[in-house]
Amino acid sequence: MTVTPARPEDRMPLPTSAGRGVSEWARTHLFRTWYDTLLTLMFGVAFAGATVALIRFVGAADFTILRRNLALFMVGRFPRDQLWRPAVALILVGVFIGVMAAMTVGSAIAKAAESGIPMTRSTPWAVLRRFWPLVAVAAFILTLTRTIGPAVTVLATLGAGVGVFMAAARIPWRLLRRGWLLLLALLAVIYLVLAGGGVNWNGWGGLHLNLFLTVAGILFAFPLGLLLALGRRSSLPVVRWLSVSYIELIRGVPLITLLLLGAFALGFFLPAALSPGQVIRVLIAITLFEAAYIAEVVRGGLQSVPEGQVEAAQSVGMPPWKTMRLVVLPQALRNTIPAMVGQFISLYKDTSLVTVVGMFDVLRVSTAVNSQPDFLAKGLESVTLPFAALLFWVGSYVMSREARRLEKRLGVGER
Amino acid sequence: MTDVFADATKATGDAIIELIDVDKFFGEFQALKDINIIIGKKEVVVVIGPSGSGKSTLIRCINRLEKHDRGTIIVDGIELTDDIRNIQVVRRETGMVFQQFNLFPHLTVIDNITLAPRQVRREAKKEADENAMALLERVGIPEQARKYPGQLSGGQQQRVAIARSLAMRPKVMLFDEPTSALDPEMIKEVLDVMVELAQGGMTMIVVTHEMGFARQVADRVVFMADGQIVEVGPPEHFFLDPQEDRTKLFLSQIL
Repeated sequence: MTVTPARPEDRMPLPTSAGRGVSEWARTHLFRTWYDTLLTLMFGVAFAGATVALIRFVGAADFTILRRNLALFMVGRFPRDQLWRPAVALILVGVFIGVMAAMTVGSAIAKAAESGIPMTRSTPWAVLRRFWPLVAVAAFILTLTRTIGPAVTVLATLGAGVGVFMAAARIPWRLLRRGWLLLLALLAVIYLVLAGGGVNWNGWGGLHLNLFLTVAGILFAFPLGLLLALGRRSSLPVVRWLSVSYIELIRGVPLITLLLLGAFALGFFLPAALSPGQVIRVLIAITLFEAAYIAEVVRGGLQSVPEGQVEAAQSVGMPPWKTMRLVVLPQALRNTIPAMVGQFISLYKDTSLVTVVGMFDVLRVSTAVNSQPDFLAKGLESVTLPFAALLFWVGSYVMSREARRLEKRLGVGER
Repeated sequence: MTDVFADATKATGDAIIELIDVDKFFGEFQALKDINIIIGKKEVVVVIGPSGSGKSTLIRCINRLEKHDRGTIIVDGIELTDDIRNIQVVRRETGMVFQQFNLFPHLTVIDNITLAPRQVRREAKKEADENAMALLERVGIPEQARKYPGQLSGGQQQRVAIARSLAMRPKVMLFDEPTSALDPEMIKEVLDVMVELAQGGMTMIVVTHEMGFARQVADRVVFMADGQIVEVGPPEHFFLDPQEDRTKLFLSQIL
C-alpha cells in the first residue's frame, strides 16, 4: 500500500538492494500513514479470513465423489476395456514432447556454439518449477485414484519423455528444424488412430475430450487461419474476397451454432467416411471457428511489420513469397504471441460448449455426477465444480506462463 | 534543362540507367514531371532539392519500389515493365540503402547480410558467410557480426545496411537520404564508407543533404524541385555558378 506522497520531501527513498530488513520494508510499504495502516489491516483481515475458509473447505471436503468418478472426469464414457488406447496415446505424446524438447535444446546449443554466447542450461529442478501447477494438479489427481493404472501411465509418459529427450539430445537436430510441423501433424494422426481407432467415437469425454479438442483445434486451425490472413492481403481479388467473406461469416456466428450445425447438419454434406463420429464433427466446427479468429490475430501481426521491411527485402531481389516467409511472418507471428495465446486459452475453456451436442466434457461430468443416487441433492457441486475449474485453470495458467517465457526469449517489444 | 543528354555518359561512355520522359503520379499529385536523365557506368550522381521535390520517388522508381506511370526506365539494358521477372533482375543488380536502415530485426547482422545471397543467389552458407565477413571488414564492423540490429548504433546499422546491399554484388547503388536519420557524430562513419565505395568505381545515385559529400565525390549534381529536374552539372559548376534562379535560392538557403 503506497500512496502518492503529499509533499515532495515525503517521497519514498528509492528501493535499494537487500539488507534493509523486513520491518523497514513493512513500515514504508504497509504502514506509512494512518490510512495505509487502515487499508493494510482491512485487506489483511479479509485475506486471512478467505485463507482460513479455503483451508477449512478443502479439509472438510469429502472427495469421495471425485474418487469414485475419477475415470468419468478424465475420459468420460470411453469404454473401460479400451482405456489402454488413450494411455498408450498419452505415452506417445510424452515421446513426441521429448523429441521436440531435444530439438529445441539442440538447436539452441548449436546457435550458442555459433555465436559464442554461452547458453544457460536449465536444471531438472528449474523445469519442475516451471511446470509446478501441472505437477501439483497431476499429483493431486493421482492421490484420488483407486487403481494402479493412472499412476503407471503417468510414470510411463514421464519416463518415455525424459528417456527420449536424453537419447535424442545427441542427434544434430538442426537438420530437422523444419520437421516440427510435420512431427506435430504426424502426432495428431497417430493419436487419432491410436486413441480412437475402432472405438465408438461418441464415447469420448471428460478432460481427455477437452484437451484433445484444444490441441487438435489449435493444430488444425493455425495453418488455416494463417492462410486466411494471407488470403485477406492477397493481390488477387477473388482470394481476398473469399477470405474476407469466410472470416466475417464465421465471426458473425456463435460457436454453439457451429457446434450444433456440425453435429446435426455436417452429416448431410460429408460422406460418412469423413465424419466417423461426433468428436470429428465437433473438431471440424471448432477448427473452422478458430481459424477465422486466428486469421484476424495474424492480420494484426502482419500489419505491425513496417512497410520498410518489405521494401528492404524487395530491394535485394527477394521474391514475394520468400519475403513473406523469411522477413514478414517471423516478425508478425512474434508480435501475435500475446493475442494468439489469449485465443488458445479461450478455446480451451470454450471446448466445454460441446455439451450442447450431448458430449460429456469435464464440466458436464462435474454436474452430471451429482445426479448419481449416492450423491443426489447433497450439494456436492461445491466439490465437483471447483475441481473442474482447477483443471481448466491449470491448463490456461501453464499456457499463459509458457507464452510469456517465449515472448521474453524472442524479445517481443524490443526492436 | 539544357544539356542533360549531352552530359550523360561522360564518365565512362556507357549508359547504365536511362530515364526517358518519366512521369509519376500519387493520385492527383504529380511527383515526377518529364524526367530525362542518363547515368553512366561508374558515375556518382548526387540528387539534391527541397523536401517533396521527388528525389526519393525518382530513385525508388529505378528499382521499382514505385511504379512510374509514363515514360521509359532502362536499367542495365532491361526495361522496367510489369513483368515481375524483369523487376526481379533489376532489383538484384541495384542495391538500395534507406533512411531508416530497414535491417531485419529478427536476424543477426551476418544473417541480415547473407539472407538474400543464400535465398536468391543460392550461395552456400560457408561462401555467403565468408563474403559477409569480408563486407563487414570493409565497412569497419566485423566484430558485430553475431549481434542483432537493435544492439547497434545508428551509424553501425546503416553500415550493415550498406554491406547487406553490397552482398548481392549490385552494379548500381541507390542511397535514399542515408544519413538523415543519424546522430551528427555518426554521419561521418557512413559517409566514409560511401566515399570509399565511390572511389572503388561503384555507380551510385545518392539523395542527400550532405553538400560536402556532393562536392567531394559527385561527378554530377542534380537539383530537383516540384518533381522536375531543374539543373544538372558537375559540382564545381553547380555550387559556384548555378544557372537557374531556383537553384540559387536553394543553395543560398542551405549553404
